[in-house]
Amino acid sequence: MQNFYWRWQFKTAPYRFIAPFFICFVVFVFIPFIFSIYLSFTNWHGEEAKTFVGLANYKTLLTGREFWQSLLNSIIIFVLYVPAMLLLALIFASCLSSSWMKWTGFFRTVFFIPNITSVVAISFVFLLIFNSTGILNQLLMNAGVIHEPIPFLETPWWARISVSLLVIFRWTGYNMILLLGGMQSISKSLYEAAEVDGASGIKSFWYITLPLMKRLLAFCTVLSTLGTFSLFTEPFILTKGGPNLATTTPVVLIYKESFQNLNMGYASTISIFFFIVMMILSLMQLRLFREND
Amino acid sequence: MNAMKRMSAAVLCSVLMLTLILSGCSGKTGESKSEGEAAGKKTKITVWIWEDAKNVIDLNMPEFKKQYPEIDVDLHVLAQSDVYQNFLIAASSSDEVPDVVNLESLRLSQMIETGGLLDITDKVAPYKDKMNAYKWADATKDGKIYAMPWDSGPVVMFYRNDLFKQAGLPYKPEDVAAQLKTWNDYMKFAKQLKEKTGVAMLAESKSQTDGVFFQQMLWQRDLWMFGKDGSVQLDNPEVIKTAQYFVDLVKNGYVYEVKPWSDAWYSSFQQNKEATIVGASWYEGLLPTLIDPDASGKWSVVPMPKWSADDKYGSAIDGGANLAINKNSKHPEEAWKFIEFMLGKEESQLKMMKEGGLFPSLETTYNDEVFKGKVPYFNDQPVRTLYIDAVKNVAPITYTKDYPLANELITNAFAEIFLDNKSVESVFKKAAAELRQKTGRK
Repeated sequence: MQNFYWRWQFKTAPYRFIAPFFICFVVFVFIPFIFSIYLSFTNWHGEEAKTFVGLANYKTLLTGREFWQSLLNSIIIFVLYVPAMLLLALIFASCLSSSWMKWTGFFRTVFFIPNITSVVAISFVFLLIFNSTGILNQLLMNAGVIHEPIPFLETPWWARISVSLLVIFRWTGYNMILLLGGMQSISKSLYEAAEVDGASGIKSFWYITLPLMKRLLAFCTVLSTLGTFSLFTEPFILTKGGPNLATTTPVVLIYKESFQNLNMGYASTISIFFFIVMMILSLMQLRLFREND
Repeated sequence: MNAMKRMSAAVLCSVLMLTLILSGCSGKTGESKSEGEAAGKKTKITVWIWEDAKNVIDLNMPEFKKQYPEIDVDLHVLAQSDVYQNFLIAASSSDEVPDVVNLESLRLSQMIETGGLLDITDKVAPYKDKMNAYKWADATKDGKIYAMPWDSGPVVMFYRNDLFKQAGLPYKPEDVAAQLKTWNDYMKFAKQLKEKTGVAMLAESKSQTDGVFFQQMLWQRDLWMFGKDGSVQLDNPEVIKTAQYFVDLVKNGYVYEVKPWSDAWYSSFQQNKEATIVGASWYEGLLPTLIDPDASGKWSVVPMPKWSADDKYGSAIDGGANLAINKNSKHPEEAWKFIEFMLGKEESQLKMMKEGGLFPSLETTYNDEVFKGKVPYFNDQPVRTLYIDAVKNVAPITYTKDYPLANELITNAFAEIFLDNKSVESVFKKAAAELRQKTGRK
């Protein structure tokens, strides 16, 4: 009897160790998720009675332009900022990991600070910079580069570029730290051998550093993909998702439908559909990773 | 083994604690009332309100405390959008806090729809005929009333007399009122102003408009995004004509491009970029403080321009607020006493007009001397009589619960018209179709 009890204790121990997480997960994630699925079939505006409307919400979503536009916006913003951001991060990281660099600790900190500063604060500062009468336009006008203020937040493409610049500012440092870690794990002997063979700094970067960093760069791209599709604060504060939906990401759309229009049912539909799209994307990326191995 | 036992006990304990905490989350927090009642029979009511509304309520608080010493009022300040979001959460979780909530007319019917507000039909009965008739429409659902009107925003035209004078235009209020009667005249004034001084007639945005200017024009014509039968009206030819007017105004170069209520918008007034504001009475409170504090004497007021001189209605409404009671409040009686004192009592409303620039919905106050008073900022012009004329001359329009959505579609529609150079008709027809699909209206 005693023996059986101990065996049971021993067998279930690991499950009891992970129980706290799973209880939280079920209460705060899983149950709301199931509830969202249910809501997506209703026409709920916050009242007590929920009317079941079947697939009407899904029809609205698939035939309307908003959702597809929001996915397209995310893809555009992704294309605008990810290559530029990774290139910058690579340059900074290789500078910081090179032997002639001083004050590396200081620079690492400085580049990382934007990532841990409040997004809202940064967004408001950028709002002041990009305004039609903002700092950036004033500077460019005084320097004689432009004669008319650039409509940074007023036309679709400029608005997307502004959001992208803000994202670059926030995330370059973070990616730099990741890449720096990768670079420092590359054995020094490789570079020494290259130097003996007479390869220049640029050549050794091209033929040694880059190939060995491929996987890490791919990892950064995956992280950025997830981040881009769930962008919210930056476009919401800069442009409220405008002009004419140009910077409306799926999450901005969900927010507007639920808290501005009180269309909780439809907002749930968007969330569920968005979840499916992200799922497919993540699976595709996992496949790519596997092939890279 | 002993260590094992201890560990599993610890884990079990933490799981237990967690479940306790989690179940505690869904429990009700009812401490606020017991504390109050224990301390000498004081009832505490909580009011959710935004900052500038609290400022005018504060003017009347000393009087209120004198009359109702047993009621303790906690004025809880929230950002305007937070009031709605938090109340939504409070209503759907049957929370008894807040007791009273401050709601703008344009989101009122949306909030009534959620079922979180108390039916106060009997309580407001004595005020039914004393308030602006149009205010009740948004407060009513299925014949029951859920909110008490607070203030109205009758629309007039504020203009810079010095810039008008510079352009060789009439600049005294009586002359401007006589010669700027219709939107056609407004366009002519804008043309001369632009040619002579280079100043724009108004500040608005092509791609980031808040839609207010256009909606005020609609309201003045007894048109709206929705018809009296609830149908979508965005593709009504008259609505399209009205939108076309705004588009023409912009394309002629009479509009200074700036996003309304942005920092650049505020500073544009001090830089003399535009000469008029077609807006509600509450600008009287904003102009001398936030918008153009150094321009005392340079602003004057005339009635809002009409679409045509023989229009039935002469003005429109923008904004205005209400107070409502939470359905789950433990102190609905005390909450009503507070609302009645603040909004139903003439002295309170007059104080808020005089010192806070809020124009009351309570019509019995309109004979008071306050409204004949000269306002120093406007060159001692008795501008408040204009608000009374305006408010008596508006169409009874309801915002309806779909207003926020319709408003956003209008912003996007104008952006599309200007950015992609499309015709007003095609874009508004498309917006109408979208609005029909999303609201299920005809």
